[in-house]
Amino acid sequence: MRLLEKLWGRKKSSRKSDKKKKGTSNYAYAVTRVRAMKSKLMPKETYPRLLNMSIDEITRFIEESDYKSDIDELAMKYRGADLAEHALNRNLAFTYEKLLRITEGEPNYLISEYLRRYDVWNVKTLLRGKQYNASVEDIQESLISAGEFTYTFLSELAGKESYQEIIESLVETVYYPILQEYDGTNLADIENKLDKMYYSSLFDAIGKPRSKDRKLFAKFVKLEADVKNLGNLFRLKKAGVEQLDEIMPLMIEGGFALNTEKLAALPYEDFVEELRNTEYWDAISSVMGPDMDSLTALESKLTKYSLESATTYSHVSPVSIVPIMDYIIYKNNEVNNLRIIVRGKEAGLADTLIKDQLVVI
Amino acid sequence: MVDPVTATAVAGPILDAAGMKALGAALAITVTGLASAWAEKEIGTAAIGAMAENESLFGKGLILTVIPETIVIFGLVAALLING
Repeated sequence: MRLLEKLWGRKKSSRKSDKKKKGTSNYAYAVTRVRAMKSKLMPKETYPRLLNMSIDEITRFIEESDYKSDIDELAMKYRGADLAEHALNRNLAFTYEKLLRITEGEPNYLISEYLRRYDVWNVKTLLRGKQYNASVEDIQESLISAGEFTYTFLSELAGKESYQEIIESLVETVYYPILQEYDGTNLADIENKLDKMYYSSLFDAIGKPRSKDRKLFAKFVKLEADVKNLGNLFRLKKAGVEQLDEIMPLMIEGGFALNTEKLAALPYEDFVEELRNTEYWDAISSVMGPDMDSLTALESKLTKYSLESATTYSHVSPVSIVPIMDYIIYKNNEVNNLRIIVRGKEAGLADTLIKDQLVVI
Repeated sequence: MVDPVTATAVAGPILDAAGMKALGAALAITVTGLASAWAEKEIGTAAIGAMAENESLFGKGLILTVIPETIVIFGLVAALLING
């Protein structure tokens, strides 16, 4: 098709993503490798077993799996839950870096754009840490160097005295214009702007999808935006925020099936009624009730829904970016689950409480 | 491809019956060769990807990689039949 267009001297299509695409993509190689990696993720039967173990036993258990080198290298420096947390973060960063290493061309570009969420996450962590005067170690614990910034750079930033110095060090990044507005009090606003910027640049990177796999990828990102918006809407409605001009700035634009403007204007009961007409209702109906005092169950249902849809999409388009995205979120979910277990155990939470927080598929 | 009728009319018989047969046989081999090469490339890279993660898949990967070889064998058979 492209050849024909060239022969006829037609203008090249204006897909943004195509312009930035460089080299050839190696989907066959990357997707099979990623599928093999996915098969190594922990099966769901593991989680009940982990719940019965102590922190040290859990650490030893994950040391016998994919996390061996991370635990081995960090065991000198950290102990207990901190060791597990650092190892999990390190492993996540390494895994994502590996994905970037084994892909080229289009998938590489899309993955790196998607992984910018960790840069945003790290910037947010650094600012939040400084705002609440967290120790350098505490901040470092929450850094996940899976994006563009290296761990060395980030931990250097964590060591800075104030947030001003951190922002000055980020002067060459795309986040600087937003960070400039930070004055030490408007953190929530800045975080929100960073998130919105991330999604808008991701949508920009996807461009106008034409092929089937690009459409699925776009759908996948839109679904994620919807899930985020839905969680936020619930939280806001529960907190009694009704004003449209208060809610709308918090919504991520470009969602898939949610009309956020319409939903935001409704009072809680009508809002829930309206959700019945969306495709998310089947996923969340079992936990919906008149007196929902916790949103944990709802959020875990929504996460489960997005994980399951990613798997479905990856079967629709088996040799494309979608199975790779599927793996990215499954790996993230595994790390999250393990972190919840370890931190829950450390805080002495009851097993049932920890179990409710897990998203197991 | 040169149209044999035109070719004969303009410059005498460039392609007689034997030539056409040889050309057919060559085409059969070339096209099937390219087709199996393309298929083996796709399967081969996928197999390497799987093997990089799990070495025990070597045997399966090898077998799957050479399966498209049948395409070129069919081409060879067709070429031999044409010439035979």
